[in-house]
Amino acid sequence: MSDDILIKVEGVSKKFCRNLSRSIKYGIQDVVRDSIGLGSKSEELRKGEFWAVDDAFFELKKGESLGIVGPNGAGKTTILKMLNGIFMPDKGRIEINGRVGALIEIGAGFHPMLSGRENIYVNGAILGMSKSEIDKKFDSIVDFADIGDFLDSPVKFYSSGMFVRLGFAIAIHCEPDILLVDEILAVGDSAFRSKCYQKMNEIKSKNKVAIILVSHNLLAVERFCNKGIFLHNGIIKSQGEIHKAIQDYQKIINQLLEEQKAISGVVPGMPYCTKEAEITNVKYLDKDGKEKREFAYGDKLGIRVEYHTNHNILNPIFQISLCNIEGVHISTFGTHLDSIQIESMQRDGAVECWIDSLPLLLNKYYVTVAIYDKTHNITFDYWNGSVSNKYFQVLPNQVSAKMAEFTAICHFKPRWKVNGKDIYVE
Amino acid sequence: MASNLYIPNKHLKLGIKIWPEMFQELIRNRGLIWRLFVRDFLARYKQTVLGITWAVIMPLLMVGTFIFLNRSGVINIGKTDVPYPIFALLGLSIWQLFATGLTTCTNSILQGGNMVVKINFPKESLVIAALAQSIFEFLVRIGLLVVIFAIYKIIPSWATLLLPLAFIPLILLTLGLGLFFALLNVLMRDIGNIVTLMTTFLLFLTPVLYPPPSSGFFATLNIYNPLSALVTGSRDLVIFGYMKEPLQFLVASLISLIIFLISWRFFHIVEARIAERV
Repeated sequence: MSDDILIKVEGVSKKFCRNLSRSIKYGIQDVVRDSIGLGSKSEELRKGEFWAVDDAFFELKKGESLGIVGPNGAGKTTILKMLNGIFMPDKGRIEINGRVGALIEIGAGFHPMLSGRENIYVNGAILGMSKSEIDKKFDSIVDFADIGDFLDSPVKFYSSGMFVRLGFAIAIHCEPDILLVDEILAVGDSAFRSKCYQKMNEIKSKNKVAIILVSHNLLAVERFCNKGIFLHNGIIKSQGEIHKAIQDYQKIINQLLEEQKAISGVVPGMPYCTKEAEITNVKYLDKDGKEKREFAYGDKLGIRVEYHTNHNILNPIFQISLCNIEGVHISTFGTHLDSIQIESMQRDGAVECWIDSLPLLLNKYYVTVAIYDKTHNITFDYWNGSVSNKYFQVLPNQVSAKMAEFTAICHFKPRWKVNGKDIYVE
Repeated sequence: MASNLYIPNKHLKLGIKIWPEMFQELIRNRGLIWRLFVRDFLARYKQTVLGITWAVIMPLLMVGTFIFLNRSGVINIGKTDVPYPIFALLGLSIWQLFATGLTTCTNSILQGGNMVVKINFPKESLVIAALAQSIFEFLVRIGLLVVIFAIYKIIPSWATLLLPLAFIPLILLTLGLGLFFALLNVLMRDIGNIVTLMTTFLLFLTPVLYPPPSSGFFATLNIYNPLSALVTGSRDLVIFGYMKEPLQFLVASLISLIIFLISWRFFHIVEARIAERV
């Protein structure tokens, strides 16, 4: 095995049991077989068991980062726990070279009655640090956690954000060669989140740490990782480039939504539509009116909504909402909001909404479109770009590059006045 | 660089090589065991007013009850070589090293459940730290014993200094049973209750609060009860300066050692299966 490979996973499977009383029975069975030296037939499924992770192969080298994505219950955390040695695989082998730091749940092992100071020592010891090692890093940990006067209060008085900050600070300071991060940063505020990513980026490039990240925040995964695994029902459906893994994941989500739609006729989160008028197509247009999926900060963007109806509908309302890939609602445009009256809608036609200068930064975006009757109470049709997998991307340019270090989602061109004097900038 | 291999039945495949691995792990983790002990200790007494005095309140109450029952003629304890309070408190202190040790050890992994599922660390550290707790409580009780000895103006034998050595088999037995029950307790929560029940029951079967009977069923039982030899032997050391039944003590020590070794190996092999059942 080459020195560069830190993690090597070969044909690894893990089974679990759904039923509690059977789980107890199997547990005792395994323990008895183990203790009399028989070993367990771990490669076979017993009644009520299923493979939570099935036949996984992958490896990770120094300085690489792997994102594991997939719906809930796909087996992501189980993989992390096996890599950490909490669970033993039932089949296959895992080879780990280096010290593993795991952030599977932050603050596990914290004792609520003990102060932050005491917990730093306890938790550090649990994570494998010696006392002198902790002494040396103590100030740095406290500094990173930013808990201020609370250092000597019991951690049960901490806010959940402080709790997470302290946990992350300790774990990141144990100088792992491999860092496993489960969906944990979701609790902290965005400032702390970006601090964490910054720190992880730092140890990744400087100390050549291999990082595995499990998160439902696809954007964060896509930005942070270079390799990706898409896991579904315990099986690795695709792996390789992170973009590929995420695309495949989104494809499956869309398929599932389509299936649900086919069965029940509705998509979750979708309002009931009368379909008196239907949205036939939505296009993103560039300044020349040509369909396009890639834009830059400051570009002109048009959203074209094409419709079809067999009725004669008077005064319909068109409403478009702009969201980023994480589902953050950025802005809503509506014909009624700008007091525009569309006299009537017949057969086929199109409504376009134009933005002269995009204030958006590097990310993926989509729109949702709805057509309402004049009272805004009846929905004729609703279209969702994330369901239809129709996104547009804002690519980096000079402005967005400058903005990259901030966590803002958009940027408006300001006008400055210094000591009463207007300053004009290009 | 630390290197790890995870495969099914890993520890079983080690065979005899499991012993050096177990010792290395134990030595590597002494820092962690100490931290966990301090953590449990601080957490336990932080929110109490009486603090560590609780360690002496229980035996005092127990012995007080027995003195009362004896004086009022409800039970007949028989004659002891030293005043009864000294005899009983000394015996009970030694006994509780075993009894509280066993119950805290049994519950240690279950109580640390949250940690066990989310962090990979040697789980025997939890059990050993729990045992350290009961050793500490014994040290507190020494203070009580000194006071009682002073009240009765009795000077313990010089052989008392050998007590730490005499405790080794008792501690090994406690740890051995503790490691075993701690794992089983994760699988079946009944074990915790059974152990509590068992220690109470054993207290009355073992000559802790009464002198060893010289004839009858109980005398025979005593020969086969290693706890009896371990408690009586240690107590004899303090009171007389020698053991009345050194052979019984030796046999009991051997049994304790064997129980400990078997149980420790069992723990090491089965440990890996525990996280998924917590």
